[in-house]
Amino acid sequence: MCKEYDVVVIGAVAIGTSVAYHLAKAGYSTAILERGDVASGSSSHCDAVALICDKLPGIDTKMGQASIDYFAEIADEFEYDFEYVPKGCLYVCETQTEFDAASDYCAKQNADGYALRMVGREELCEMEPHIAKDLAGALYTPESGAIAVSPYKLCFAFIHEGRKYGLECYTYCDITKINLDAKTNQVESIETNYGTIKTKRIVNCAGAWAPFVGKLTGLTIPIEPRKGTNLVSEQTERLCNHKILEYGYMLSKFDSINFKRKVSPLVEEQNIAFNLEYTPSNNLLVGGNRLFRDYDIRSEIETLKAISERALRFFPELADIKCIRAYSGVRPFVIDHLPIVSDVDSIPGYYIAAGHEGDGICFSPVTGRFMEQIISGKPTDFDISKLDFARFS
Amino acid sequence: MSTELSDDMIVCRCEEVTVREIKEAIHEGARDIVGVKRRTRAGMGLCQGRTCEKLVQQILVQELGIHPKEAGTSSARPPVRPVTFGELAKGEVL
Repeated sequence: MCKEYDVVVIGAVAIGTSVAYHLAKAGYSTAILERGDVASGSSSHCDAVALICDKLPGIDTKMGQASIDYFAEIADEFEYDFEYVPKGCLYVCETQTEFDAASDYCAKQNADGYALRMVGREELCEMEPHIAKDLAGALYTPESGAIAVSPYKLCFAFIHEGRKYGLECYTYCDITKINLDAKTNQVESIETNYGTIKTKRIVNCAGAWAPFVGKLTGLTIPIEPRKGTNLVSEQTERLCNHKILEYGYMLSKFDSINFKRKVSPLVEEQNIAFNLEYTPSNNLLVGGNRLFRDYDIRSEIETLKAISERALRFFPELADIKCIRAYSGVRPFVIDHLPIVSDVDSIPGYYIAAGHEGDGICFSPVTGRFMEQIISGKPTDFDISKLDFARFS
Repeated sequence: MSTELSDDMIVCRCEEVTVREIKEAIHEGARDIVGVKRRTRAGMGLCQGRTCEKLVQQILVQELGIHPKEAGTSSARPPVRPVTFGELAKGEVL
């Protein structure tokens, strides 16, 4: 029996499930293929927040805000609870130098209309009673620009809601071949362990693994795996009231930002940027770092040590709280820190939505909406030409 | 293990997950220990599945008719037992 769909989405994590949901909702007969279980990729190996304040001013922040606004709508609309929590975020500055740099960033975002503001040491200590008392202050992002969701429940939610519009989900699916028309290069079908699936359109949402799917049709997709690690605490009292990040996070994410922190060689070498959040289950997530380790997501002891060391600088009481687990995952890194949300000129019917690095959860809802608009030939909500795949040619 | 498990029995004590919830997760598409864990939190608590993993495996085997090996195990991740962040930072336990 040969199956046939209007669109086939590859990869059932935060981006793919959102894309599939939006296409099914728009009336396309849609299938989503996943080589493992739903949410078994990067979306179950990351943290849980969506922020505007970890983005560069411009399209990066604009997409973040659009997605955060959209999260509020779908949290209300969806039957499946993906643990949406408005949270607020504090970007803590260890020194006056960091505070000044954060103030410049804040001014730029304010000029674009985003309601961020700087808070001094005293106000920071009132907002976060357990934080170290000698910090310079923080950049505060209100709940309108900083929320949390369960990243893997988000994937289950999109599948659950998508099924109401006829979405079909194939897990443990191996793709062996993608067939193109010999003359036009038009997408024709996909060969899998479920048999041949006929379709004129495929969307590659395989995240850090998108290059492997790309190779099946000779496409070079410039995405690399970048490893991140988080530690999980025992269930404990709420040590923090907001998502907490150190301003040095910008350092670990963007190499264009040029300043040095006074940290130990281990913290430096491990590219640690402290971040902390509590989860609805009352565990704390303590992070984090970014390292290139190919696809190896084994936990590294030196990373655990360095994250703990850095975390104690900001929240000394963590010293007596227990760590029960550490986990790592790969984020799909693109050199210009922007995802690819695009069609592909050389292969009619081939689309890519991948390369969101640490923003896959944050950008998930809006990416799904953009991809439906691109496939339907509608104008996108705003100009996303910077996300075009053609920028690499 | 071949005892009959009642649906109301708590399998994961740390997260208070029942046999019924695990069966529902399997019905929703979980095929292994990790799939059950992501859908129910079984094995995500303080003991990290030490107590319940074998029981979850038994339910998977019964419900799906698979070999225990196919149910897999939770990914092995440090620390092996809970240690404080203070101890971790000092490297005393590493």
